[in-house]
Amino acid sequence: MEKALGQYISKYADLSNEDLELIRPRMEVREFAKRQLLTQAGEKEQYLNLVVRGVLRKYFFKGRDEVITQLAKEGDLICSSVSFFSGQPSQYAVEALEPTIVYSLSRESLEELYALSLRIQKLARIVITDLYLSKEKREQDHIQFDIRERFVNFVHNNADLIQRVPQKYIASYLNIKPETFSRLKHLLKKAPLVATLS
Amino acid sequence: MQNQEKQTYWTLLHEFLRRFIDLSEEEFIEWKPYFEIRQINKKKILVNKGEVEDYVNIVAQGLVRKYMKVKKGDVTLQIAPEGHMVHSEISFHLRKASDIITETIEPTVLISISYQNLQSLYSKYPLAEKLGRLFVTEMYIIKDKRFFEILKKSTREIFLDYMKTHPQMLQRVPQKYIASYLNIKPETFSRLKHLLKKKV
Repeated sequence: MEKALGQYISKYADLSNEDLELIRPRMEVREFAKRQLLTQAGEKEQYLNLVVRGVLRKYFFKGRDEVITQLAKEGDLICSSVSFFSGQPSQYAVEALEPTIVYSLSRESLEELYALSLRIQKLARIVITDLYLSKEKREQDHIQFDIRERFVNFVHNNADLIQRVPQKYIASYLNIKPETFSRLKHLLKKAPLVATLS
Repeated sequence: MQNQEKQTYWTLLHEFLRRFIDLSEEEFIEWKPYFEIRQINKKKILVNKGEVEDYVNIVAQGLVRKYMKVKKGDVTLQIAPEGHMVHSEISFHLRKASDIITETIEPTVLISISYQNLQSLYSKYPLAEKLGRLFVTEMYIIKDKRFFEILKKSTREIFLDYMKTHPQMLQRVPQKYIASYLNIKPETFSRLKHLLKKKV
């Protein structure tokens, strides 16, 4: 698990051992059962979570429908990030879809770390920028790609999630109707390029 | 540009930065050379599709539109008046070809910092690191807020709230851009405009 932390961080920055020693004692290991909520809509997000094992979803309610905005697996960060950074009540819920282990850092710990190390503050800037750009990218993808393209792109990049996550959740994440999604699945069999990747 | 006018823009920048960090007059004077004041004509493309964005811009005067060209036509993602930030974010941060276009609507003055200068500022001044972090956090929060507003409000509410918070826009911006930004069909937008007359 220590390795997971190091690997995640090294995607963004070269932290010294000294910095890692500051972060390590502040990380909490949290375990969740399948279907357990990490964060509920309406409460303030207390943690930033790095997924060590499992798959999770982040969603909100549009009327009575759930709309999924993120699916996270090992090595990904997930939390109700806007609530975490703003201190406002969360609009989103975060739920484990498999038995899950996350490495979590509280808001208080993060503030302490900012004060202790400039390099950690830099890491935070880069991670938050990355979160921001993902939101921007998702918005642009919805404008420029049609349903079929979004489906094929997703399968290309997330072959493993197709196996692990209920189909209706992936359809919701891609903003594709479940019926359409079932129809698109035939593309996987027909197109050898995509099929080999899955 | 007159010196006095320039000074106004520098003051504006200092105030903008102080929303995020405690930056003294002395520190600000050291930071100033990293920024540029850029004067742009109206209807000029700042970054075209396929180009790499070099700047983060704060609109000091004028209006900038950020949009995407798709098969159905243009989709407006942002209309930035004075005090707002505008640039092609993904292209700027990832140093790759932009998918979006930024273009001035009016004659515009931008206070800009280049990618290179921003990196130098980060490496030279620890306080810049905090500025960068708080700044991108705010952008992230605003983006999420807009997402939920458009999702949860009715078309009528979206229209009325926008007109209330941006009373000048209808005079300054072609209607079709506002309609696209608010994700309202042009016909519906024209119909909604009657709501404004009745209220006055």
